[in-house]
Amino acid sequence: MDNEFELVRQIRRGDAAACTALIQAHHRFLVAMATPLVGPALADDVAQETWLKAFAAIGEFQGRSRLRTWLARIALNEARALLRRSRREVSLDCDQPDGMPPLAGRFTAEGAWARPPMDWHHDTPEALLTEAELLECIRKHLFRLPDAQRAVVLMRELGGLEFAEMAAATGLSEGNVRVLLHRARQRMHAMLEHFEEQGTC
Amino acid sequence: MLSCKQVTGLGSDLIDRQLTLRAHMALLAHLGLCSRCRRYVRQLRLTSRTLQALAMEDEPASAEILARVRKRQPDPRPR
Ligand SMILES: [Zn+2]
Repeated sequence: MDNEFELVRQIRRGDAAACTALIQAHHRFLVAMATPLVGPALADDVAQETWLKAFAAIGEFQGRSRLRTWLARIALNEARALLRRSRREVSLDCDQPDGMPPLAGRFTAEGAWARPPMDWHHDTPEALLTEAELLECIRKHLFRLPDAQRAVVLMRELGGLEFAEMAAATGLSEGNVRVLLHRARQRMHAMLEHFEEQGTC
Repeated sequence: MLSCKQVTGLGSDLIDRQLTLRAHMALLAHLGLCSRCRRYVRQLRLTSRTLQALAMEDEPASAEILARVRKRQPDPRPR
């Protein structure tokens, strides 16, 4: 957060290097989050408009949320405006084939663990993310999630948005948003579990 | 009593504090007795926190993106 404040101070002064650093840190996230909402062709426009608005309004950033959350909110507004202009609606496909449930075959008929989770070698986010191969694997699997699940994970986990905002942006109920988020987390957990147990992606 | 399978289904609602008081109590009662489910919920929470901390750095096209933004807005400084 302190780092973010220093960066924001530099951006307010019009420091090009600071602006570039901000874009470098968050552009890919904004495009990835907008893609399931507006489609790949328009996602770049959403990110572009977001930067325009963000640099104009950076004086209003209060540091009450992370910068990534502040940017995500601007991007959702831009996505909504862009869809309205092109007279389209968000069309998140929630029934995209999802494969086997991540915990299929892990329970007995009575619902007790048949193959319980094992202890992991890493027990903090920092420990997990410093492992280059694992980091690559997380990114890869994130982009393999069905569109609706990826949208929700990006908004909630990376973006830090609230369920009400996510429901408004996706046109889904908060209940559906929560179901999608849980499925996505379980899928990402299964990926991490595989890596911890097998040492491969 | 909740089954382990039911408990894993409630993991995200626990993480996001979306459980009713009644469901929360039932879940805590199970977790108090079941180390396997405690471990699963702990790992699911770790998965969530890891995603929160995930960076998505971009290839260095950012200077070009900034140039495009600035072309449309000559002075990026507010007021
Ligand atoms: Zn259990």
